[in-house]
Amino acid sequence: MIDPALITNNLIDGVLMGLLYSLVALGLSLVFGLMDIINFAHGDFVMIAAYTTWVIAMMLYVDPSVTAIITVPLFFVIGLAIYKIIIEPILGAEPLIQIAVTVGLGYVLQNLALAYFRAGPRSFPAPWFNYSIQIGPIGIAVSKLIAAAVSLASLFIINYMLVNTKFGLAVRATSANREVAPLMGINVRKVFAITFGLGIALTALGAALYMMWGQTNPYLGQSFSLLSWVIVAMGGLGGVMGVLYSGLIVGVLEALGSTFVSPSARLAVVYLAFFFILWFRPRGLFGRR
Amino acid sequence: MANTHMLELEKVEAGYGQFRVLHGVDMHVDKGEIVALVGPNGAGKTTTLRTILGMTTLYSGDIRYQGRSITKLPTHKRVELGITMVPEGRGLFNYLTVYENLLAGAYTKEAWEKKEETLEWVFQLFPRLKERKNQIAGTLSGGEAQMLAIGRALMSRPKILLMDEPSLGLAPIIVLEVFEIVKKLRDEGVTILLVEQHVKHSLEISDRAYVMEMGRIVMQGPAKELLQSEELKKAYLAL
Repeated sequence: MIDPALITNNLIDGVLMGLLYSLVALGLSLVFGLMDIINFAHGDFVMIAAYTTWVIAMMLYVDPSVTAIITVPLFFVIGLAIYKIIIEPILGAEPLIQIAVTVGLGYVLQNLALAYFRAGPRSFPAPWFNYSIQIGPIGIAVSKLIAAAVSLASLFIINYMLVNTKFGLAVRATSANREVAPLMGINVRKVFAITFGLGIALTALGAALYMMWGQTNPYLGQSFSLLSWVIVAMGGLGGVMGVLYSGLIVGVLEALGSTFVSPSARLAVVYLAFFFILWFRPRGLFGRR
Repeated sequence: MANTHMLELEKVEAGYGQFRVLHGVDMHVDKGEIVALVGPNGAGKTTTLRTILGMTTLYSGDIRYQGRSITKLPTHKRVELGITMVPEGRGLFNYLTVYENLLAGAYTKEAWEKKEETLEWVFQLFPRLKERKNQIAGTLSGGEAQMLAIGRALMSRPKILLMDEPSLGLAPIIVLEVFEIVKKLRDEGVTILLVEQHVKHSLEISDRAYVMEMGRIVMQGPAKELLQSEELKKAYLAL
């Protein structure tokens, strides 16, 4: 029998990680909902941002979480540039071309990291929040708790922005009908650029939080990409809340997989459950159309 | 030019990519008019409206608004100048509420500042929209959806409103209501370019009209005269 304390610990870990996954997946979801483009390089931006965070943290010798102050605006600008140079030219192109371009972008980012940083993992040696809160047999890692809280707050802020601001209205209107939005006076390309930039900025925030305890390597992007796709597909186009719930489900599934099967099989468990869910709900759990 | 029209198309050739639809269209709309653009399916009426708003490929010719060429401006900039369209099939933001659809209509800077005032005007024109303010647009009936599409276009405070088949797919009684609204809008100072399949109804409320066939204007004149034209009667009015 598996120790109930271990299960509880893993479940808590799953919930906390799930919130971080939601944060990372949100950018992918916003971009997909708005532009019908799946950015297959999404996870690789988390990886590049994780290295950037690591470099800045080492230089200033501060906790990786603090570097978000620099990396989030930096990656917003990088996102704007990537949109202009790589994404805008393939808007409305054949899906195959869009896939080839964004998959290619992911490989370029991976190879850059590999060439520059080599394959070895990098982590910050002196994290500030490397302790846990013990409640009897239950231990909660403070760094993950902070990451989850910041993720959750960010999700709510973005949801608020989408529902209550003029820019959010433009995003939702353009998502709903891209053809007609310009007739309202909405500059659709500008909405696309800012949303893409925002999505990439969120990967930087996710990376800064993850590096509080995690380590990066050139292949870090793959698992973040895989998890993000599952979350977006499962969430359907259900907006921020769909992403939040799906992220939590994925986090918990991953925790259950590593508890009951094996830590190395956790992604397989997530994917099997995902296939199973799509069997019954082909439009995702929280889909709208 | 001594006599500046509000909107003027000169030798406009336009289409989609390689597919040329308009073969030299000349037309104009003056302030305060209702101008009807009629013709068979596939004549290029919708393409004409879309070209005025920069949603097609313009190969040659010029489009002037208040005397100034607008062919280089993207769609949203043309909307800022005071041109907008009720698109064919309404094009509502289906999973936004009625209220949010209307707000989106007021997106331009100028319209946004006056949005409360404009909203009151639109609710006065369409009391049903006020009742259904918080309903999801996708759940409206056909007539209500068309009212919302018109209301949303009005939220941008257009000086000229292009309407593409506003009566399409509506019950006969609602069709009459739509024509009443078009008249009312003109009386409130909105200039209108109307594309319609109900040729007789639209000529009756219009000041002037153009008849389009295969991407060309084949007939034009005061709507009353066209209504009497034997040619037109035979072709469109089935009399």
